[in-house]
Amino acid sequence: MDDLTRAYDRRHFLKIAGAVGATGGLAAFLAACAAGTTATPTTAASSAPLPTAAGSTGPAPSAAPTPGPKGTFNWLTWSDHWYQAELDKINGDIGISANVTSFSDNIDAYTKIQQVGGQVDLVSGDALWVPHYFESQLIDAFDLASLKVSSQLYSVARSFEIWSSAAGYLGYPNGWAPIQVTYDPAHVTPGADSWELLLDPKYRKRVVVEDQPVEVMAYMGKAAGVKDPYNMTTDEIAKAKALLIQLKPNILRLAPQATDTVAALKNGEAWIATINLGADTAVKDQGGPMLTTFTPKEGTIGWMDSEMIVHGGANTNLLMPFLEVHEQAEYVAANFMLNRRPLFNEAAYKLLVNQGQQELADHLLFNKPETVNTMTLKGPGSSTQAVIAAFNDVFGA
Amino acid sequence: MTTETSDGAGSAPLAGASHSFATRLGRALPALPGLAVLIFLFLVPLLIMFVFSFWRTNNDFRLVPDWNLDNYARFFVEGTYLRTFLKTLIMGALVTVAALAIGLPFAYFLVRYAGRWMQRAILLAVIVPFWTSYLVRVYAWQAILGEHGALNQFLMGIGLIDHPSTLFVYDDPGVFVVLTYVYFPFAVLALYAALEKFDFTQLNAAQDLGARPDQAFRHILLPQIRAGIITACIFVFIPILGEFLTPTLVGGAQSSLIANLVVNYLRQAQFAEGAALAIIIAAFVTAIMIVFRKSFRVEDVVTSG
Repeated sequence: MDDLTRAYDRRHFLKIAGAVGATGGLAAFLAACAAGTTATPTTAASSAPLPTAAGSTGPAPSAAPTPGPKGTFNWLTWSDHWYQAELDKINGDIGISANVTSFSDNIDAYTKIQQVGGQVDLVSGDALWVPHYFESQLIDAFDLASLKVSSQLYSVARSFEIWSSAAGYLGYPNGWAPIQVTYDPAHVTPGADSWELLLDPKYRKRVVVEDQPVEVMAYMGKAAGVKDPYNMTTDEIAKAKALLIQLKPNILRLAPQATDTVAALKNGEAWIATINLGADTAVKDQGGPMLTTFTPKEGTIGWMDSEMIVHGGANTNLLMPFLEVHEQAEYVAANFMLNRRPLFNEAAYKLLVNQGQQELADHLLFNKPETVNTMTLKGPGSSTQAVIAAFNDVFGA
Repeated sequence: MTTETSDGAGSAPLAGASHSFATRLGRALPALPGLAVLIFLFLVPLLIMFVFSFWRTNNDFRLVPDWNLDNYARFFVEGTYLRTFLKTLIMGALVTVAALAIGLPFAYFLVRYAGRWMQRAILLAVIVPFWTSYLVRVYAWQAILGEHGALNQFLMGIGLIDHPSTLFVYDDPGVFVVLTYVYFPFAVLALYAALEKFDFTQLNAAQDLGARPDQAFRHILLPQIRAGIITACIFVFIPILGEFLTPTLVGGAQSSLIANLVVNYLRQAQFAEGAALAIIIAAFVTAIMIVFRKSFRVEDVVTSG
């Protein structure tokens, strides 16, 4: 009986092990296919049309075949820093492809780079996160002027003090946006210019803010007159928290993503929202109401992001040739049309003007990059833990 | 220690022991992958998390071994965590009761009155939602319960309300409805498995002997499907203690459950603080499991009667 049992077990164990292995492999394959966060590099140019600034298909910047390095590098970035047709075209032109992994937030990328370091070659990051990466020796500075394409940047973007170091520039400037307040004038008394609009009891359960505790507390800090809302003192946190308590009854929901905010504004469930610059046009484009948007008079927070070269990356030699093409005005303008937020490429702005998109570009402040100097920039703060505790205290039971 | 003897007297037990060990090893082999998963993907991470829960997160978002109990103290000192945990327990209990109240008659009907093919078809319908993403299913409820959603349209259509109601979503009732929907299949499947083994002629016999239907239900049926009911409770109640997605998607500013507060720490890489809160919840779940484990014994109504 023992022998029989043993034979039975062994045979079935092998069958089961095989089945488990096959299932696991299939599951991993399906998961990889389903995961929207990772894009596998393609070796041939995609047949998908390449967007242009005008929103139609057309010629893209072409790079003559070069004898430069070819290969694939790893890029940890936001999903709006690239589009597949562009990567396919670049790969076809210069033989450099990007293995893209998306992330949700600066802290997400930063902690990943802390763990994996040079397994990633290029990483995107915001404002004051950039010098923090550098101080933590996670990225390398480079000579911005060595990239010809950098001459297309607004001059202000070539000389950000926070991104300058003795060793060179810390990141290639990409885009920026302030957090603004938008409202539907059909329901909200026009003329608002302050964060106080969010707190007005008339708008109970009509306000949507994104579910980002640190950012929400930061702009409540701005509303309370705090100068550095990412490094708040205990007293300042108390002031921001007091405003958040006022805000809570007005909040319809804490939106997990910007698309949820757009949807709530579009279908009229929300009348007021805090948004990234450009979300109001997305609402209009989707058939929603014409919204009025303003930057609060107390000041606001905002982001400006860049591409950083990860220290110790195995494919660093691919990055400069890639950026030289990826940052060309044509690609940047097309990216603007896809994602609707201002970028630092002045040549791309001029291209958009030539293509009849000036109204949109100006509305989204593409022509006013100096605005970033008026925002409190995102960065790693010293009060993060206390801020989350305060946020939890307000939104817990 | 066994000593070999020249007369061979000791060889038999030694061979027997060896054979027995080989047999046992052979029998254990199929369990090794599962054991490895349990150890390396569950127990070891839990242990690491337990250790981290006594550390601190510094301003560079790194965990530093600065041993302390502050992360645990936060849960008990700052009222919001205890209140939110209590709210989570209440929500879990209400959803469990609702899932049982709806699931038990449903499973009873299925086992007792539905034909074999009908049973299979209905069970398939119960399982079908698992084929789609949890996220998609919960998002779909926004379209049903929302201010301009299907429910409001229906209620206005039949004249029950004049204006769209905002009560159904982005508040606790919405979270309750969606959690009940999400966990209902788990309750049904556990109850179905228990009821399928039940001999329904016992109910007829009890009534023949003078028991009222409700007495037969309470004294004959319920004790025999107790294991199924407890399993259903475990499948519904315990996952709700870790639920954060449903409150995020259909709950409003007032609807956070305890996991939402934990997630706020984890999303900002405050791992030590998040770990301590998660460990407290895990400890509570373990305690509940121990309590349930003790009441798992299903009494034999025949012998006890």
